[in-house]
Amino acid sequence: MTLFRLECKTHAKSLLIWMIVVTLVTFGMMAMFPSMKESMSEFKNTMPQEMMEAFNISDMAALSTVGGYFGYVFQYIMIATGIFAAMLGTNSLAREEAEGTIEYLYAQPISRTSIIVSKMLSSFLLYTLYWIISVAVSLLICLIFKESGASISDLVTNFSLFAFAGWVMGLTFLSVGFLLSSMLSSNKSATSLSLGLVFLTYILGIVGKLQHDFRFLAYFSPIEAALPSKVFQDGIEGKYMLTDCLIILMACCLTFWIYRRKDLKV
Amino acid sequence: MPIIELDHISKFFGKFTAVKDLSLTVDKGEFFGFIGPNGAGKSTTMNMILSFIKYDGGTVKLFGQEMPAGNVAVKKRIGYVPSDVRFYPQLRVQDLIRYTMDFHRVKENKKEVDELCELFQVDRKKKFGDLSLGNKKKVAIVCAMIHQPELLILDEPTNGLDPLMHARLFRLMKEKQEQGVTIFLSSHNLKEVEDYCSKIAFIKNGKLIGVEDLTKMNKKVKVVTLKGRNLPFKQMEAIGATCISRKEQEGRFLYEEDLTQLFTTLKELSNELEDITVSNRDLEEQFMSMYENKGVEQ
Repeated sequence: MTLFRLECKTHAKSLLIWMIVVTLVTFGMMAMFPSMKESMSEFKNTMPQEMMEAFNISDMAALSTVGGYFGYVFQYIMIATGIFAAMLGTNSLAREEAEGTIEYLYAQPISRTSIIVSKMLSSFLLYTLYWIISVAVSLLICLIFKESGASISDLVTNFSLFAFAGWVMGLTFLSVGFLLSSMLSSNKSATSLSLGLVFLTYILGIVGKLQHDFRFLAYFSPIEAALPSKVFQDGIEGKYMLTDCLIILMACCLTFWIYRRKDLKV
Repeated sequence: MPIIELDHISKFFGKFTAVKDLSLTVDKGEFFGFIGPNGAGKSTTMNMILSFIKYDGGTVKLFGQEMPAGNVAVKKRIGYVPSDVRFYPQLRVQDLIRYTMDFHRVKENKKEVDELCELFQVDRKKKFGDLSLGNKKKVAIVCAMIHQPELLILDEPTNGLDPLMHARLFRLMKEKQEQGVTIFLSSHNLKEVEDYCSKIAFIKNGKLIGVEDLTKMNKKVKVVTLKGRNLPFKQMEAIGATCISRKEQEGRFLYEEDLTQLFTTLKELSNELEDITVSNRDLEEQFMSMYENKGVEQ
């Protein structure tokens, strides 16, 4: 519990910064909706169909609704969210060794299992808080900019599904980040690894979507499963969620297994 | 009762042997010095004692319990001062102290904490990252003693401390030892080891090369330094002295036999020599002879 509190205190500032940035960016992008919805048909003619699919804007009609437009612009926030979650995980254990604080921490009466549990719980809480607030603020912004006649209850239902899918996506990146962290003894490469992990899986999703033969690759893309444009249109797809849950479970088990056996760098 | 028992422990980093077949016992209430040159394996041994790293062979027992099994209960009884103090730089000292108390579930010793902070002049309002090396060390000492441990493991504890704090630390350690606390000290400062430790272990290239009772060592063995043009190696050898170093006109010998015989021989040789010095063998002498592998080429 002590380490849990220490972790929450350590990350509270960066959490706040991320939430403020996400709120401002979402507001900025959604503020353009009223003027953008009119120019969507012109935009459609300028881009090839495949590229539009890759950017998740294949359904142009949806882009003139607040939900459709939000689904398109928020995918970039989803990528940022994936990076935030991956970085939270990748830095968690490795940072203690890189900064030498593990020598203080592990000299206290605490086991390696407790260190992982405390760090996982605090990261889980911080990420969940970040996500709840980000989604709630986004919903509020959508309600402000929604077109006249749009159904509030539909928007709320869609947002509930999307909130859940996005939460699972973040937890997937968080748990894979933890696994990487258990193997690293320095967090110098944590940022680049997090960026690589998120962009690689994002690209896998695009390839899986465009190439029918490689459809299976999309299941290894947590972002693909939680894209608001997809969730608003098709709901949550069970296969994606199952893959994410399996990855989370495996990553968590491997994290415990590796970290309990490793020589700590002091 | 043994507090630390290392039984034939080894540690390998790839092909490099950091510690080889090291066995050591530290009894309750002992002030135990652990010395060796840089890279000898001191830190690796301490890291194995504290379970930071696994050992590749042998066993480590603390308070009779094998580590790392059950190590949380054992760690409650240990205070550790690292050589390079790297605590959370963003935390204030008072927060670090509070977290340490929370880790140990210690609530009722505010008075002792205040006394420790006062003794070591710890500024609790400052952020840890803003402290100097010496002040960081003082915080580490306070944190290591908050829970009144039964075993104190100190790795170069006086690094960066001013002479006043240095003296206070060792006075406190001596008091703790008298109360039954076991102290395991790793240091490069041979003077502080010699002044305070009751027993020392020498480590070289990952191997234990000797364990000495310091009080006995100082009294029993003499170092004889002779200066002159013709040094009497044969006569000294004849009475059982061992040459440990030889310069141009100076020879140094170790002698632990009958002192009357030594002085009789030295009296006979006095006309041929420019200077004769007989002194107790100090730790530095012991250290140099063990690690430099000096000597004895006549």
